[in-house]
Amino acid sequence: MIRSTDHELHDSLSVSESTDDSQYTERFTDYLPVRMINEFVYCPRLFYLMHVEGQFADSYETIDGGIVHRRVDSGNGHLPAVNDPARGEDLCFAVEELDDPPADALMDQLPQPKRKRRKHIQPPTLFGDPKDESEDNISSPVDDSSPNLSRPPSKEHGAETAIDREKEDETPAIIHARSVTLSSDALGVIGKLDLVEATGDVATPVDYKRGRPKKMSDGSLDAWPPEKVQIALQAALLRDNGYRVNEGVLYFNTTRQRVVVGLDSELEKQTVKAIQNARQLFESRQIPAPLNDSPKCAKCSLLKICLPDETRSLMPVIHEHDANAQPTPSDVDIRPMITARDERRPLYLNQQGLMIGKKDDLLIVKEDRKVIQQVRLREINQLSLFGNIQLSTQAVQHLLQMNIPVAYFTRRGWFYGTTQPLGVKNILVRREQFRKADDLITCLRLARELVRGKIRNSRTLLMRNHVEPPRTVLAELKRLSERVLKADSLASLLGLEGTAARIYFSQFTGMLKVKCDIETDPGSALSERRAAFDFRGRNRRPPRDPVNALLSLAYSLLTKDCTIAATIVGLDPYLGFYHQVKPGKPALALDLMEPFRPLIAESVVLTAINNRMVTPEHFIVAGKSVVLSDAGRKGFLMAYEQRMDALVTHPLFGYRVSYRRLLEIQTRLLGRWLTGEIGEYPVFITR
Amino acid sequence: MRRIYLITYDVCDPKRLRHTFRCLRNWGDHLQYSVFECQLTDTDLLRCKAELAEIIHHKEDQVLVIDLGPAASRREDLVEAIGQPYSAMAAPCLVI
Ligand code: SF4
Repeated sequence: MIRSTDHELHDSLSVSESTDDSQYTERFTDYLPVRMINEFVYCPRLFYLMHVEGQFADSYETIDGGIVHRRVDSGNGHLPAVNDPARGEDLCFAVEELDDPPADALMDQLPQPKRKRRKHIQPPTLFGDPKDESEDNISSPVDDSSPNLSRPPSKEHGAETAIDREKEDETPAIIHARSVTLSSDALGVIGKLDLVEATGDVATPVDYKRGRPKKMSDGSLDAWPPEKVQIALQAALLRDNGYRVNEGVLYFNTTRQRVVVGLDSELEKQTVKAIQNARQLFESRQIPAPLNDSPKCAKCSLLKICLPDETRSLMPVIHEHDANAQPTPSDVDIRPMITARDERRPLYLNQQGLMIGKKDDLLIVKEDRKVIQQVRLREINQLSLFGNIQLSTQAVQHLLQMNIPVAYFTRRGWFYGTTQPLGVKNILVRREQFRKADDLITCLRLARELVRGKIRNSRTLLMRNHVEPPRTVLAELKRLSERVLKADSLASLLGLEGTAARIYFSQFTGMLKVKCDIETDPGSALSERRAAFDFRGRNRRPPRDPVNALLSLAYSLLTKDCTIAATIVGLDPYLGFYHQVKPGKPALALDLMEPFRPLIAESVVLTAINNRMVTPEHFIVAGKSVVLSDAGRKGFLMAYEQRMDALVTHPLFGYRVSYRRLLEIQTRLLGRWLTGEIGEYPVFITR
Repeated sequence: MRRIYLITYDVCDPKRLRHTFRCLRNWGDHLQYSVFECQLTDTDLLRCKAELAEIIHHKEDQVLVIDLGPAASRREDLVEAIGQPYSAMAAPCLVI
């Protein structure tokens, strides 16, 4: 296939689709993009997470790579027709925007500010680089009239001047073609080549790389295996399209070095093998184990999703002969590679009557048509609305594009829904969730651990905060936390949990250090003054005293965060293991949050009251129920997020992360447990 | 890890000036005429610089990026104002 046009590409794709329609779901699209194979060679697990599970994340490397390629790609669309008199026909490169989204194509998925390309100021250099030099290194010495240099400002619409230049140059020795899409039927591979330098029928693929080349011990430069394979594939694509290829070139943007990659039979074999293995892996639906202590992980964009060391440390030992053996402390060294906190913050909109619009990458917050604040979307990770607040469709669109979920609460703090982006394509974990939820034994096993975690953590909270925690209570809680492990049904588990909660909440006032009064039924004959933060046990719907009002709000907020965490991981928040299915109840989120109720929600209530972030003036007593004022809610939201931002040591992994990050890690581990990659779900129990 | 950057610019052409301003507004607070204070992660900085590089004229304009250190350990007296007050806010979330 010499001439590979869009048309033919689509044709060949649709033909193969229709022939094996039945297997379509289990088969890979017929053309594997080159970049995917590159990723496979880097790490098979990375390939799997990205292309089978559909999970993406940016890292410094992918973004930088994306920027390098955007520059390389700039000005495309006018590729020169290559004339080859020897064959007497036009060789034409197909130009097509590929629908393959790997690593540095990610840039394109992000909303880019709408800018017209200003050709006259389109330098090929990156910011801060000396001007106008970079590409000199790229074109070979014989051809210093590379068509790719930045144009002088006068040449506004320099209609991609390869052809012009050709006319100027008497003997067009080298032709440069950029962003060339080629496919090979033989290999079943398709790829976009950054640059092809062609002389007659000899072509050299040039691939732009960020960063630096690999330095050998003798000082010479070399390429990394994934890069070599990528070049070998590009060479194969060119050959399949009628060219002779002797070598390939990697061009390193940072150091402006050219590294020539020789094409030997060894590399070719390796390349063919990589294609085969990548296809096999895709069809197997078996996630490969994480790399072992590899330096690649620290730089990997999917580190947070993959959790390589954490997963390894929890993977079942191969020789599992003793079913009763306690999980032994693993000897996997867990490197603290995950950043402790999320770099972005939540945004809460709490003031009634606000109108939210968007402009560029800003949320514009208006009150009575006056702009009262502008919030940079890049700095927030979720948006919560309380009550009567309007969000424009444009704002919602932009939020979803930027992967920012929106959560809705009533004015009183009842969490009733989210708007989420389409989410991960990871249907595999959801399928396992549904399978496992059908199995009562599995449900019970997980439920016991969750309830045990909750009781243990509430006991810890008492020990830390109670003026004088009664010994009997602590002992009873400890006893119950062991007993739940023997519960033989969800019903008996529920009973034990109820008992533990009653005992624990009976001591809750002992953790409150603020004594003051509140007036009930102001103005009415029945009005009386009573201790504001007196607490006699849980009540809700509506909460009848300030502490209960705060607890309800705290649980609401935590439910929101667990629901979002579940969705991000690809789980269905509505199908739980302990909490049973009930319409409108995010059962899985409630499961997930059990052990965190004391550590996050109840702890926040204590902090908010004890640090006077919320005071009796913040409550409005209406009949039997108690409502938190807007100002009070603001104080409480701050307290809640302070807690979510607080660092905590992970008991298994030893590193410190914020509670927000911890929630995400724990949810991912639940997913790993569901897919069977790890043997047990390690419920978070603080020390 | 976010770091604090002072980004200042000198752009000759009014259209490019407007674009520079609009671009930086997505990344930080407008402190003064042609001065922004941005708290950026390393990837933010990369993107921000790439956007600016496309807007400005590399022979006529100039943007300076001044690194003021990690945001988490920001010194109280990092910026001192004479005249109009200056305040830096650090909160775990935004509540409006
Ligand atoms: S973190 Fe390591 S094991 Fe996981 S995908 Fe990345 S490179 Fe592979």
